[in-house]
Amino acid sequence: MTRSSFFRILILVLIIVGLGVLSIYSSTYQKEGTQWQDIYKRQMLWAAIGLACFLFFSNFNYRRLWDANYFIYGAALFFLFLVFALGVIRLGAQRWLKVAWFNFQPSEFAKLAVIIFLARYFSRKSADDTSLLSGKFGIFRGIILPFIFVAVPMFLIIEQPDLGSGLMLMLVFMGLLYLTNVRLKYIIVLFAASILPLPFFWHFLHDYQKQRLLVFLNPNIDPLGAGYTVIQSKIAIGSGGFLGKGWLRGSQSQLYFLPESHTDFIFATFSEQWGFLGSCLLILIYYLIIRQGIIIAQRTQDSFGKLLAYGIALLLSLQVFINIAMNMGLAPVVGLPLPLMSYGGSSMLVTFVSLGILVNIDRTRNVF
Amino acid sequence: MERRKILSLIIILMFLSLAGGLLNLDILQGAKFRRLSDSNCIRLISQSGSRGNILDRNGEVIVNNRISYDVMIMPQDMDRLDEELDLIGRILGTGAKGLKAEFKKNFLSSSIPVTVATNIKSTEAILLGEYKADYPSIIVTPKPLRNYPCGSLASHLIGYLNEIDRWRLTKLEDYGYKTKDIVGFGGVEEKYDYYLRQEEGGLSVEVNHRGKITRVLGFEPPRNGRDVQLTLDIRIQKIVEDSLRGRKGSVVLMDPRTGEILALANYPDFNPSAFVNKRSREISGLFNNPDSPLVNRAIASAYPPASVFKLVVASAGLETKKINSSTRFFCDGSMMVGRRRFKCWARHGSEDIFQAIAHSCDIFFYRTGLLLGAQNIHDYALRLGLGKPPGFDLEGETAGYIPSPLKRKLNNFRSWFDGDTANFSIGQGDCLASPMQITVMLAVFANRGWLVAPHVVKAVGDVEIASRKRRFNAVPFRKETFDVVRRGLSRVVSDPEGTGNALAGLPVKVSGKTGTAQVSRGATHAWFAGFFPSDEPKYVICVFLENGGPGHAACQLAGKIIEAMSAQGLI
Repeated sequence: MTRSSFFRILILVLIIVGLGVLSIYSSTYQKEGTQWQDIYKRQMLWAAIGLACFLFFSNFNYRRLWDANYFIYGAALFFLFLVFALGVIRLGAQRWLKVAWFNFQPSEFAKLAVIIFLARYFSRKSADDTSLLSGKFGIFRGIILPFIFVAVPMFLIIEQPDLGSGLMLMLVFMGLLYLTNVRLKYIIVLFAASILPLPFFWHFLHDYQKQRLLVFLNPNIDPLGAGYTVIQSKIAIGSGGFLGKGWLRGSQSQLYFLPESHTDFIFATFSEQWGFLGSCLLILIYYLIIRQGIIIAQRTQDSFGKLLAYGIALLLSLQVFINIAMNMGLAPVVGLPLPLMSYGGSSMLVTFVSLGILVNIDRTRNVF
Repeated sequence: MERRKILSLIIILMFLSLAGGLLNLDILQGAKFRRLSDSNCIRLISQSGSRGNILDRNGEVIVNNRISYDVMIMPQDMDRLDEELDLIGRILGTGAKGLKAEFKKNFLSSSIPVTVATNIKSTEAILLGEYKADYPSIIVTPKPLRNYPCGSLASHLIGYLNEIDRWRLTKLEDYGYKTKDIVGFGGVEEKYDYYLRQEEGGLSVEVNHRGKITRVLGFEPPRNGRDVQLTLDIRIQKIVEDSLRGRKGSVVLMDPRTGEILALANYPDFNPSAFVNKRSREISGLFNNPDSPLVNRAIASAYPPASVFKLVVASAGLETKKINSSTRFFCDGSMMVGRRRFKCWARHGSEDIFQAIAHSCDIFFYRTGLLLGAQNIHDYALRLGLGKPPGFDLEGETAGYIPSPLKRKLNNFRSWFDGDTANFSIGQGDCLASPMQITVMLAVFANRGWLVAPHVVKAVGDVEIASRKRRFNAVPFRKETFDVVRRGLSRVVSDPEGTGNALAGLPVKVSGKTGTAQVSRGATHAWFAGFFPSDEPKYVICVFLENGGPGHAACQLAGKIIEAMSAQGLI
C-alpha cells in the first residue's frame, strides 16, 4: 500500500515532467542563442533536483513540519520581503531572487508555507481533550486571525506584482477553511467580504492587471496587445485538432506567435502538438495525481496530515485548473505556471517537495 | 453531504470542464483555429509580371513595358533605417526627408518590403546595387512599367493606367482586384483590363511572430498579361494624328467591309505616360482642361450631323418613292415653311437628287423632308444606325439623338411643326450624332446595305476575336437607292461645283458628303464623311472638326490624309 502510492505518484509525475521537457524543447529549439537551446537541459536538471527533493521529503517525517511551521512561515515572509528589497525585475514584475546561478521565486515557496501553517493552525488540539480546537473557533480565531496570516504574504505577493499567486493563496485558504470544522456561515461571510470590495480594489490594480481582466472578458478589444496572448494561445490549442500537429510541428508555438510558450503557456504548446487526445490524457494524468492526494488525505487519521494532504491536492488542482483554463481563454491571464510542466525551477521544486510530503503522509500513516 | 466529498466533486467538475473546453476549442472550433493558425504564419511576397502589350493589326507595338527599378527597404531591422535612407537619398539626389515620409506612408508590416522610391534611373539602380553587401535590407527590384513608344498615339483608344479607385474596386473585388492595383482607365486598357492584367506570382513564406521569414514554402512564377492586338494600322493612325494635330475634332477611318477601325484620332489628346510617371501637374491639367482632352470625342460626343444627314433624307425619299432619281426641285435661295422663311446657302436653280447631294442644296431636302414627314425620316435614320449606340467595343459611346414628333411630345410636351421637319431634314435642330455613327452610316452606302458593328480589338492573346465581333445588320434598301445615293456622293467630289471638289485631284477616287453644322455659339462644326476608292470602297473616313468652320475645312483635312495614305502606298 505504502509503496504503491509512492510509485504511482512517481510514475505519473515522471510522465508529466517528460512531456514538459519535450514541449519546452519544441518551443525553444528554433530560437537562436545557447541560452534558449539549453533550456530543456536546465529543465531536466531541475527535474533531477526535484526528484531528489521528492525522495528526501517522502522519507522526511512530515510531523517535523508541525514543529517547524513558524520557522517555515517566517522564512517565506522573509524571502518575500527580500524580493522587495533586492528582487530581480523580469517581465515587468519583481518576483525573483537571484541565488547563486538561478533565480528563486519565493512566492512558490510561500504557497506551500502557508498551507503548512494553516494545516497546523486548524489541527491544534485543546489541552484537556483530544478534540480539535477549530470546531470551537469563533469568527475571530476561525476566520480573521488565519486570514491575517494569509493576507500578509498574499499582500506581498500581489504587490510584486503577481496577482495569480496571490489569488491562489486566497483560494487555497478558503478551500482549507471549508474542510475544517469552521462554520459555513463564517466562510460565507469571508467570501462575501472578499468579493464586495473588489470594485474598490480595482483602483489599486496595476494597469496591466486591469487590462488583463478586461481582455479576459473580451480578448478582441486589443488583439495585438494584451489580448494577443490569449488569442494566440486559443489558436494554438484549437488548431491542434483531434490528434494534434505532431511533435515539433506546431507552427504557433515554434514560430513564436505564442509568447511565454515554454512557461505559462506550455499547455497550449503541448496541446497544439498533441491535439485533443493528448491534452485530455494530460489532464487525466494530472487528475490521477490529485486523486492520489485526496485518497491519501481521506485515509490519513492524523488531522494535520489530513489537512496538509488536502491543502497540497487543492493547491495542485487549482494551479493546474487555472493555468489550463487561462490557456484556453477561460480564465484571465494571471501568470501562473503549470506545475511540473512549465519551465522554472522554483515551481518544479516546490511541487516535488509537496508531492514528497504527500507520499510521506501516506507512509507515516502506517507507522501510527 | 460531507464537505470533503463536495470538494472532491468540485475538483472532478473542474477537470471535466477543462476537457469540455478542449472539446470546444479542438473539435467544435478546430477548423476555424486551424485556418487562423495557417494565416498567422503564411505570407505572400508578391512579384508582378508584366502587363500585356497592345499591338496594331500588323503586330507593331503601340504600348509595351519597360523595366524600371524600385528601391525598397526590408524593415526587419530598423536600427540602420536612417543610415540606409541617407544613402538612398544621396544616390538619388533627393535627400532622406522625402524618403522617410514615403517609408512611413507605405509601411505595412515588417515582413513586407517598403517601397521608398519608384522608377529610378538604371545608373542609380546599379549604384545602389553596389551597396548590397553593406546594406542587405536595401532591395532594388525591377518592375515592369507601361511604356508608350509612340507617345500619345491612339491615346483615346488605349486609355491610361492608374491606381484603382474606390468605385472600380467595389465592382472588381470579386475578380481578384486589390487596393493599390494598377488598372486601366478608359479605352482598351480598361475594357480589356482583365486580359491585359498580369497575374501576380510570388514567394509564399512562413514567417514567425515578428514577420521574420523562417522558410520558403513555395514559389509561383508571375504570369504576364495577354497581348491585345488592335485593328488599328499604326501607319494610318500616325498620318491621321499628324494631320489632325492642332485642330479640335476627330477622325475615324474604318473598313466598311468588316467594321474594323483602322484609325481613330481625337484632338486634343493626352500622353498616357503622364500617369505612369505620376506627373501630377500634367495630370491635373488634363482633368481641368476645358477642351477635355481625355474624352474620346469620336464615340462619346454627339454633334448635329448637318448636311451629312441629307443622305438619310435622300434614301428615305427614294425608298418610300416620294422622290425618284428624276425628281427635280427648284431652289431660289429660300422657301417658306409655314410662316417662316428657310434659306438655302446658295441659289441653285432646278436640281435633281444628284445635284442636290453634290451641291448640298437645302431646298431640295426641305421639300423631300416635308414630303416624307418627320416620323419617316426618324425611322430611316434609325435604320442607318443613328440614334442608337453603334456597338463599338469600347466603353463610353453615345447614342446620339434623333428627334421625332412623338418623342418631342412625350419628353418636352411640345408640338412638332413643319418648320421642325425642315430643320430636321438638313440635320439641324435636336438631331445629334457621333463621328462614329456617321462613319457607320457612310459604311452602309459603301458596302451597299450592311450596318456593321465597328470594333477595334482584333485578337486577345492568340485568340482571334474580331471575327466574333463582326456583326452585320442588313439595311434592306433597294439597289437603286444605293446606286443613286452613291452617284450623288461621287458627284460631290467630281462635280466642279460639288462641295467636296477639293478632293477631285487626289490619286484615288473619293466619294463623300460635307457638312457644316450651325452651332449656337462659335464657329460652325465641319464634317466630311466619305469612302474611297469610290468603286470598291476599302475605307470609310469621317472627319469632324469642332468649331472648325465650313465643311470645306474638313474636306481639306480628309484630302491631306488620303493623299498621305496614297503616298505611302496604303490604299
